[in-house]
Amino acid sequence: MRRIGTMIAAGGLLLATACGGGGGGQPGGNTASKQESLSVGFVAEPANLDFTATEGAAIPQALLVNVYEGLVKLDQDGKIVPLLAEKWEISPDRKSYTFTLRKGVTFTSGAPFTADDVVFSFDRVKSDWKLKIKAQLDVVDKVEKKDDTTAVVTLKQPSNGFLYALATRLGAMFSRTGVADLANKPVGTGPYQLGSWKRGDSIQLTANGEYWGTKPAIPGVTLKYFKDATAMNNALLTGGIDVISSVQAPESLQQFADPNRFQTVEGTTNGEVVLSLNNGRPPFNDKKVRQAVRHAIDHKALLDTAWAGRGQLIGTMVPPTDPWYEDRTGDHPHDVTKAKELLGGKTYNVKMRIPNLPYAVAAAQVVKSQLAQVGITADIEPLEFPARWLDVVFKQGDYDLSIINHVEPRDMGIFADKSYYFRYDNPAFGKLLAEADKGTEQEQTDKLKQAAKLLSDDAAADWLFLFPNLIVAKKGVTGLPKNAIAESFDFTGLAKQ
Amino acid sequence: MRGRMNAGLIVGGTLVALVVIAALVSFVWTPHDPTLVDAARKLREPGGGYLLGADKFGRDTFSQLMVGARTTLYVGIVAVGIAALIGAPLGMIAGMTPHGWLSELVMRVNDLVFAFPALLLAVMLGAVYGAGTLTAMIAIGVATVPAFARVARAATMQVMVTDYILAARAAGRGRMAIAGRHVLPNIASMLIVQASVSFAIAILAEAALSFLGFGTRPPTPSWGRMLQESQELLFSTPRLALWPGLAIALAVLGFNLLGDGLRDYLDPKLRRIRERTRRSERSGGPTKEGLRGVSEER
Repeated sequence: MRRIGTMIAAGGLLLATACGGGGGGQPGGNTASKQESLSVGFVAEPANLDFTATEGAAIPQALLVNVYEGLVKLDQDGKIVPLLAEKWEISPDRKSYTFTLRKGVTFTSGAPFTADDVVFSFDRVKSDWKLKIKAQLDVVDKVEKKDDTTAVVTLKQPSNGFLYALATRLGAMFSRTGVADLANKPVGTGPYQLGSWKRGDSIQLTANGEYWGTKPAIPGVTLKYFKDATAMNNALLTGGIDVISSVQAPESLQQFADPNRFQTVEGTTNGEVVLSLNNGRPPFNDKKVRQAVRHAIDHKALLDTAWAGRGQLIGTMVPPTDPWYEDRTGDHPHDVTKAKELLGGKTYNVKMRIPNLPYAVAAAQVVKSQLAQVGITADIEPLEFPARWLDVVFKQGDYDLSIINHVEPRDMGIFADKSYYFRYDNPAFGKLLAEADKGTEQEQTDKLKQAAKLLSDDAAADWLFLFPNLIVAKKGVTGLPKNAIAESFDFTGLAKQ
Repeated sequence: MRGRMNAGLIVGGTLVALVVIAALVSFVWTPHDPTLVDAARKLREPGGGYLLGADKFGRDTFSQLMVGARTTLYVGIVAVGIAALIGAPLGMIAGMTPHGWLSELVMRVNDLVFAFPALLLAVMLGAVYGAGTLTAMIAIGVATVPAFARVARAATMQVMVTDYILAARAAGRGRMAIAGRHVLPNIASMLIVQASVSFAIAILAEAALSFLGFGTRPPTPSWGRMLQESQELLFSTPRLALWPGLAIALAVLGFNLLGDGLRDYLDPKLRRIRERTRRSERSGGPTKEGLRGVSEER
């Protein structure tokens, strides 16, 4: 009896090996025509698959653009491009958007995608969504169907943020007949559909054979979830996965240095790693002291040591993928003499209260060493993140210096709130932002450029670097999304040579 | 001369002395500033004034190890001090009144603290009061109290039934006097041994806490944090993890050997056995008492 069991087990194993061998796609194989599924490693698994009711970045990361599509999407350069809407027209008063929908689009349930679904999806945000961010669509007054392929959205007032919001999960299009069990059975129009979900392990997406656009080159993608980054790194080293979606420790990239086996893709994110200065109390309520800090820090050296030189230097709160980006790294160049001059020979003792996160602890030690050279002694105190740091620094504002990665997209507006933990208070900045939101697109860009420059000139904070997006993949994997600036990890173009 | 020097004592003592010397010298001299960040020296290979090379921040590893020794000793001394100062008197009280309610209370509270993992306590304290060397020391110290209390209690109970204590009591000596003049000197050797072993545990605990980010605050060098910072470079620059790892291992080994050696050196019972064995070697074959002494020890 026992022997039979063993034999069956061995047989199963053999079968699995055979499948695995086929799945591996030997380089010396006979026909290179057939593409194989790819597996991509992630660190945070979604709690369920319903991003209309559950917070968390993991759900849209897996499903948006891949399973669900919106009328528009954000491309790799941060531009808003058509997706389910072929084109759109904006009325002269900029309050009415007329979307012309793509024809011949169907949901994976077989139902056709029409203007009724657009109206349904917009209304559903108001009626059923449970997320805080749904407030971003409060500006929508009403949505109407003109004909099957035309939908008109009317806004309460002109808004430059509206289209951008549609590129996030808020703009995802749902089928009127497909929202019964969103937590387990997503129904969208995207290039992939849900295959299976092994909780605690992986989500399998299979290619949608009926997709309206360019069909995926691979039959499917497996999103494999790991408890920690080291396990994920090891899985790539041993061939368990094909792609690491995001490398958490840049120095560990050296494990994947072999160009015959691996490739590293470095792109940008929306995450500005900010050296926050408490503008609300001495010594950093003095602009000269703040500017001295910016001159004291050698950003290039900081990036090289603290984050292995990965990332990009920015001089203000704007990543290069925003339309109003300007290179402001030259505003306060590294200049110890200038910094000392600005301090006027005075020395300071300050509290640097940082979250106990790897990038913050690493950067803090460099900042401390560099500030010491101009006479500012910073006492580093790592606080448990998120709870302690949020309470002491973010809520109570009891700090002089802090370091945190501000990951939200287009988040310059946080400086306009003087109760925000920067305690930055400059009415001119708030005025520029208000004008930007009201104005035309060109006016918006111009005003925001001025606002970003004002932040830099005022030294409202110091911007250490832009957090990099680091992807490592097996050699031959193509179509990886370089920049992580949207909410999704876009598998659309993924292929393997 | 109370006993004979043994190998454990010599090797352990030497290792501990090395750590102490490194720590003391670091107060007046290190080859380089151990916290100075210099991008130009990033991951510098050993040599040319940088005996063990530099880490990813360009900080000299050797200087960091020296100052790290200071941190290690500092944490060990304070933690063991706290544990001994609280634990030993408690244990003595419990040992001198073995059937009283106070003894019961002390020992049950002891059990309670003993059942609580030291690292968990430290992480908790760190989360509430902020991570730092002080919280780490207090947490490790408090968690080590039961070990001292138990050793002190057991030893006190043994001493309390000896003739000289009975004599002292018959002579009308007060409790405090008995505790101070008779009990403490006779259990001191065991406490010293316990201190040495606890020191080794404290070193490990500090390293673990710093590794987890709940110990010594950056950039103050600490062996545990050096290990943690070298983790991501383990594959490319293994020497960064090797040196602090070796330092921790040798220091822990040193204190453990020293503890073992001290026990052999100071323990009167073992000494008696040794003397008997020596005598019997002269007269040929171990004596009955010698063997009985060994079985009693077990």
